[in-house]
Amino acid sequence: MKLSAVRPITVLVTRELGIAALLLLGVSFVVFVILYLSPGNPFATLVTRIETAADPGAAAAAPATWYGQYFTWLKNLFKGNLGNSIRTGLPVLQEVVRVGINTLYLTIGSLLVTLLIAVPIAVFSARRGMTPTSWSMTVFTYVVSALPVFWLGYIVIYISIHRFGLFPLAFGSSAGPWNWFYFLLPVLVLGISNGTISEVVRYLREEMKRVFAEEYIVTARAKGASVWKHSFKEGFLIPITEIIAAKIPFILGGAVVVEQVFNWPGMGRMAWQAAQDRDYPLIMGITLVAAIIVRMGSLMQRVVHIIVNPRASKE
Amino acid sequence: MRRFSQYAFEISDVSHVSFWKKAGPMDRVYIGYGLLVVLLVVISYLLGATGALPYDPQEINLELIMAPPNTGGHLLGTDFMGRDMLSRLIISIQAYFLPGLLAIGIAIVFGTCFGVFAGYWGGALETATTYVSNLLNSFPRLVLILLMVAAFKPDIYYIMIIVGVTNIPVVASLIHSKIQFLKQKNFIEAATALGLNNCTIIFKHILWHNCRSVLIIQATLGMAEAILMETSLSYLGFGVQEPTPSWGNMVQAGSNYFMQGKFWPSTAPALAILFAIMGFHLLGDGLNSMLERKGDR
Amino acid sequence: MKRLPIVVTIFLMMCCLAASPALAGQRGDQFPDGGALNYGEYGRPATLDPITSNDMISLRITELIFNGLVGIDEKQEIIPELAERWEIEEDGKKYTFYLRQDVAWHPREGEDAKPFTADDVVFTYDIMMHPQTITPLKVRYEFIESVTKVDDFTVTFTLKRPILNALAKFSFKVIPRHGLQNQEFLTREDPFVQAPIGTGPYMLKNITADREVILVSNENYFKGRPHIDKYIARPFADQNIMGQALMFNAIDMIVLVNHRDIPQLQGDKRFVMQPYNALSYSFFGFNLRNPLLVDKRVRKAFTYAINRQEMLDSFFNSQGTIISGPFAPGSWAYNLDVQPVPYDPQKAEELLTEAGFTKNGDGIMEKDGRKLSLNLKVPIAKESEAVKRVVLAFKNYLQKVGVDIQPEFQEWMAWKEDIFLHHDYDLMYASWVFDDSADISSLFHSAEIGSWKNNFGAFSNPEVDGLIVEAKLTLDHEKRRTINRKLHEKIADENPYTFLWTLTNYAGYNKKLRKVAIHPYKFFSFADEWYIPKSEQR
Repeated sequence: MKLSAVRPITVLVTRELGIAALLLLGVSFVVFVILYLSPGNPFATLVTRIETAADPGAAAAAPATWYGQYFTWLKNLFKGNLGNSIRTGLPVLQEVVRVGINTLYLTIGSLLVTLLIAVPIAVFSARRGMTPTSWSMTVFTYVVSALPVFWLGYIVIYISIHRFGLFPLAFGSSAGPWNWFYFLLPVLVLGISNGTISEVVRYLREEMKRVFAEEYIVTARAKGASVWKHSFKEGFLIPITEIIAAKIPFILGGAVVVEQVFNWPGMGRMAWQAAQDRDYPLIMGITLVAAIIVRMGSLMQRVVHIIVNPRASKE
Repeated sequence: MRRFSQYAFEISDVSHVSFWKKAGPMDRVYIGYGLLVVLLVVISYLLGATGALPYDPQEINLELIMAPPNTGGHLLGTDFMGRDMLSRLIISIQAYFLPGLLAIGIAIVFGTCFGVFAGYWGGALETATTYVSNLLNSFPRLVLILLMVAAFKPDIYYIMIIVGVTNIPVVASLIHSKIQFLKQKNFIEAATALGLNNCTIIFKHILWHNCRSVLIIQATLGMAEAILMETSLSYLGFGVQEPTPSWGNMVQAGSNYFMQGKFWPSTAPALAILFAIMGFHLLGDGLNSMLERKGDR
Repeated sequence: MKRLPIVVTIFLMMCCLAASPALAGQRGDQFPDGGALNYGEYGRPATLDPITSNDMISLRITELIFNGLVGIDEKQEIIPELAERWEIEEDGKKYTFYLRQDVAWHPREGEDAKPFTADDVVFTYDIMMHPQTITPLKVRYEFIESVTKVDDFTVTFTLKRPILNALAKFSFKVIPRHGLQNQEFLTREDPFVQAPIGTGPYMLKNITADREVILVSNENYFKGRPHIDKYIARPFADQNIMGQALMFNAIDMIVLVNHRDIPQLQGDKRFVMQPYNALSYSFFGFNLRNPLLVDKRVRKAFTYAINRQEMLDSFFNSQGTIISGPFAPGSWAYNLDVQPVPYDPQKAEELLTEAGFTKNGDGIMEKDGRKLSLNLKVPIAKESEAVKRVVLAFKNYLQKVGVDIQPEFQEWMAWKEDIFLHHDYDLMYASWVFDDSADISSLFHSAEIGSWKNNFGAFSNPEVDGLIVEAKLTLDHEKRRTINRKLHEKIADENPYTFLWTLTNYAGYNKKLRKVAIHPYKFFSFADEWYIPKSEQR
């Protein structure tokens, strides 16, 4: 049983990887189309810049046709050459990867916060039903999900300055003993107020309720076995990975705002700056890297799904 | 024949019995709250149209800038141009209404098409729509909006198009799974056997009878998302622009004074956002749980 | 005779007293070295070299890293910097600079410092003027005919024609020949723009992941080691947070305090608010391509219709001066005899009526069936409360005289394209910032109408053209002043812009910083003399 399961999993994972690659190709095409259609076709200039940078001797010109331009850009993309930022002149890939890591910390951290708050509430209300306690907790999640994230950020900063006497932004050169605190605040704010807690709670609760009502769980319970042990995979692991994968794009979006408030040196802040400067190579690079992060999340979800339940994924 | 037809009706018949009777006590609270919010939208339009607002929301008063609440007849104080906060707060709802409808419209129309293609016909169409849905899911929405802002121009309608487009996969997957559920119960087979054509089955029996609640829920959630997105964008400077008031740009303008200890100019619109979004979420939730109860039956 | 030794001894002792702190500080003053200055910036610098950079953030940093041939002191007078002296020959057409021989470039890691020579000066000029170098400086140096190296420490510049105040223009920053990868021209792809080396008081140490720029003192600076050890430029994405950072001592200085925060900071004894008069002003510009705006009476009506004093008082705590003409009031060219027009909405309506407009049923001015309804294009900045206020108030004032203004907030680059390239606007709002010159030819001369040129409003007046050329050609300072006064009067009358005001800028900093002098445009010109008392260095 175990042995036979190994092969399909590798095959399936390879297949998922292939799908992810195909999707990223699609993403690159969409980005291309947006820029190609925008006034002045900045794309042609961009391709020329990339080609010139790759080979400064030759006076390269962008191909005249749209597919020519796209393929030239794609070719360079595969070589890891996304061009140089118009504003700073630095290679886009290197820049985006450098700040992308900070955004990744923020995203993962805030996902954890979201789950730490949402999961207990969901589990509680799934098991106990709608008691006053679980109801008030649910309402709480609605309230925090509806707060504008930057406003919550301001509140948190205000309180930390005026109540605790701590200035919550000291990322970078002047790292001190309180650095973990400065790190924690933006993560907390994004985790609480990315507008997803209520959805996570609702989804998780419904899924768990459904699984608890399934026959095998009812049987297990009748036999006196632990409900948790049996419902863990289907009622907990799968919904959680699903919701994580689905919410990554939202959290990355919220990161743009939180990074702005907390001066976090991440991708979102860079994207905002790039949009202001119309730094096309940079914002294209950011969109691509963000899409890669999203795809990685989905890939992880698929892999968990396959491992937990190899048969379900065979269709 | 007769039996099949009855069966088909039983499954498709969602709401010929009163909604209200099926709703649990909590759902009634939710739906009531949500309807209250919808009512306020209507009231806002009425007040705006009849000019019955306490003040002209565009009237500038440089003598009374940043007045605290309840000064000089301004119940919620004034903003950074001395304009009446309350009037602007009321009128702000309208900034979201049409753009929000656009976003919802796009998501529902295209999402439904995708869902039907994937669920009803399947095969290559399913593969294609799944691919497009996954593709749209790969973009963080705000980053995509920033790309659009860089490429075109910051305009609330462009932004709402993106919100709508990125919501297509959500609607599509809901419709898709709904149709799959109906297929499992042999509903579609039955309808086909009755000699109904595809058009009737899809529009009347699938969409109208079985999916309209899903779509209504999505519409309410879509409105909530449009408001939150506009708020974030206002903070970044790309939301609804002055002099048109929106809750987002009011929170943003007010929060400039937050650190100086003046909380009211940002708190009032922030609470309005909170109130509205909760309203839409709870409305969606209430409708959803009623639907679930029906499914269990 | 007996007295003499005593005198000598005292003299020697005084020398010692004077010399010992100088040795410690390596400067001619007794102020202590050490400490670090964190200052808040409005964003991240794009590039750090003096050639390709075009934003104020970069300009401030390059001021710390580089030197010019000549410098400008606190009294706006020209002082020797990299050149120790100079000679002007052939009726002002030939400038010979004798360079200091004790200047070394900042060493790159693992390398020895290389000496600064005449080659670098010639190289800088060549790079700057190369057609493939993209730099805003090019236009400023078109007056130079050629540069020749006489010997290692002597350079001669030949001018196309003698011009007034040419010496000030030799304050351009010199870059090292050995620093650049590409020896012909400089683009933003060259590594030099992110890792520059210069001759200035501070050397670039590194740029952190969040693009904080860290500069450390140059021990071998030719004017003596600067006092403060370290300068850190910290970019802030949110201005409200930056203000809090200063108040919470997370940073020591804000280069330009938001007007909103001035009252609060002024009341706080821990900080110093230092005003500096930037040579800049704000204005509403008219597009004269619009037939409705061709009549100068219409344009003047706009100026009469708005209450500039009220706006200045309400929005900027009265921190500024209302202006009447095209020069910055701090400049010698400004004509104080021309009074700003008063707030007079009645007069505005009269002028519009004179120009043939009548109020229609909606209360909007109309002429030949064309409504006086105009768009006003404004660039979006995230922190643009002041801009929003001025624009909204403007709309409000004009509404009262029957002009309908439709503000359109645009993203910065799109705005620039609409104004400078497509000329697709009726009214625009912006500010000009002048460097050290009072040259307005690019703003109002009719030859400057065209794509990406500064006379975007297509203002064309033969008399103004004549005065501008005359002012340019004259070599006599007094004569030039007279011409500029006439020019000021003429442009004030033609009203191609509705001139608003020059705002007083404030730098806010922690009291521990001493001897702070600020250059109104370049900011950090005198930063090598700033210091922090020993007790307050942390």
